[in-house]
Amino acid sequence: MSILSKLEEAWVCLKAGRVTLPYPAEAKPVAANFRGRPIFDANKCTGCAGCANNCPAREILVFDVCQEIRILKYLGRRCTYCGRCADVCPEKAITMSQEFENGTDKIGDIQQRLELFMSTCQRCGRCFKEPSVLEQLKMKGYRFDDLQNERWIFRSQARLEGEAVVDDIKIEME
Amino acid sequence: MDQVAWIIASGLLNVGLVLLVAPLCQGTLRKITARIQSRQGPPILQPYFDLLKLLGKEDIESGELPGMQRFAVYFSLATVLTVSCLVPMGFAAPMNTSGDAILLIYLLTLCGICTLLAGLAAGSTYSLLGVSREMMSMIALEPLFAIAIIVGAVHVQSFRLSSLLQGSPYAGSGFPWSGLVMLAVMLLSFQAFVQRVPFDISEAETELMEGPLSEYSGPKLALLQYAQMAKLIVYSALFVALFAPWGAGLFFPLAWLLFWAKVFALVLLVTIVAATHARYRIDQAIRYFGALMGAGLVALLLASYGY
Amino acid sequence: MFENLCQKMFGRSLWVYHANSGGCNGCDIEVLNVLTPYYDVERFGIKLVGSPRHADVMLCQGPAMRATAQALRRAYDAMPAPKLVFAIGSCACGGGVWFDSYPVLGPVEKIIPVNYFIPGCPPRPEAIIYGVAVALGLVDKKTAPVAFKELEYPIPRYHPSDLHGQGELVVYEKAEKV
Repeated sequence: MSILSKLEEAWVCLKAGRVTLPYPAEAKPVAANFRGRPIFDANKCTGCAGCANNCPAREILVFDVCQEIRILKYLGRRCTYCGRCADVCPEKAITMSQEFENGTDKIGDIQQRLELFMSTCQRCGRCFKEPSVLEQLKMKGYRFDDLQNERWIFRSQARLEGEAVVDDIKIEME
Repeated sequence: MDQVAWIIASGLLNVGLVLLVAPLCQGTLRKITARIQSRQGPPILQPYFDLLKLLGKEDIESGELPGMQRFAVYFSLATVLTVSCLVPMGFAAPMNTSGDAILLIYLLTLCGICTLLAGLAAGSTYSLLGVSREMMSMIALEPLFAIAIIVGAVHVQSFRLSSLLQGSPYAGSGFPWSGLVMLAVMLLSFQAFVQRVPFDISEAETELMEGPLSEYSGPKLALLQYAQMAKLIVYSALFVALFAPWGAGLFFPLAWLLFWAKVFALVLLVTIVAATHARYRIDQAIRYFGALMGAGLVALLLASYGY
Repeated sequence: MFENLCQKMFGRSLWVYHANSGGCNGCDIEVLNVLTPYYDVERFGIKLVGSPRHADVMLCQGPAMRATAQALRRAYDAMPAPKLVFAIGSCACGGGVWFDSYPVLGPVEKIIPVNYFIPGCPPRPEAIIYGVAVALGLVDKKTAPVAFKELEYPIPRYHPSDLHGQGELVVYEKAEKV
């Protein structure tokens, strides 16, 4: 606790120089398996809604406009970047990008919205049954009168309402 | 007439300089603390930005006695600036002949009392806690500066400010033993007078939510912070005038620059001590001041016997 | 003119008050990280103060809970104008994964108006500094809403390994599993 020890302390810290990252001026690379914002690739998405059923924060919402159009909406508000949607997606349409610079003044900026056509069997117009549960998940919503398949499917209760809580892209419905 | 003009001009110069330089010293203090902590700190002009921003904020009058709060705030800055007129800053002090050493001691204690007034007028729990701690440390602390001035007065055989501060009581008579003891005592307790770590017990941010200042916002906070910054300069000026007055006899610009260089060196010392120490608890601090007070009384005894 | 100067200085020295209304403290730790020498946010003039009366910006973490809702509102009201509120972390932005739990009222927006959102769980210190820099106007936002609308009926995809060339024709032959 003498004066000399304090001066030595000060000298050691001064010798270390400036360790501050010049952050907004220079970007710092992240680790290889860093999970940032999920990015939805609309070309690969088949509209199975597996991500919506498995999101722990119920942040991915599904709305069936008619039999052939399904809207999948990711609101970024409650997302904890856990990566479950990317793990579950059978088509690998969701990638956890490395973007973490998501600060914004309108929380509606983080939304991603996909409007997809759902296809049916070209011969009979119905969906055909698949043996595994995951394949049956894909059938959710294709025909809503197929009551036998209801029991395989755990439906998420989260739905998009007409009036949204945050600034929202209005859904055009004819 | 010439005398009055000189008094007014040099008084304005002193006050203006203290007001201008105080945030700069605070800025260097923060920057050097940051460098000692191995980081890039705020820009040196940062306290000017802080004060300007605080002046632009809304003034919320909360607290028990808003009138007394306003009074305490204006009073604190006013006392510090008055002391700056009594201290020689490179040339003879403007109000040399208007008072003596007792007035100086009184005004210095008044600076401390303004913080107490500010905290008491606010009246919230944290303010009262901060006020009680500040009171305890003031009782142990303010006599130390008084003893330094009185020992000087005993050496010079007069209470007049012109001979006390101008002629340097200690260095003038060749640094007697009591002078050395008082120098040691003052160096060891200087941090407490300017309210920096390790002795800024009353304004402890993490412990007391800023203590007595916690109910002030906007312009009042700006004035209180300004008073605290100015205290650093004024106390350093007093210390330099008492203990390190060499070069005060030179002609005008040189003595003035030398004075400010010495003040800056003292601010640097305060910074380095502040950046490398932790804050003391109130009971440790009071024991520390008690020991220093004992040493001060020994110095007074020595001085009265002529040593 | 003096008022203009004071208002311009607002962006250069922000004093921050940290209010955690029931979160898990993950975001607290990231905010404290931001104040350490490595990410040093004091170079922008930002200082942590202990009392909301001294602060310009309130950093909120944790969702709005039933128990701390009143305290949070009072801390917000105690701040002198002009003031900003930053909601840090996915709990403060939208309720987090606890949004339907019994003590949680929802995002912090239900109690106090929020100016800037910094989502993440917890957001990296760089993400927090980025959000602060967006608020100060030093950088542009990097997020914008994305919408994809399928305009035509998707055609069936032909896998390249099922395409066989026969002269000038390309024949699609796929072994069907029935």
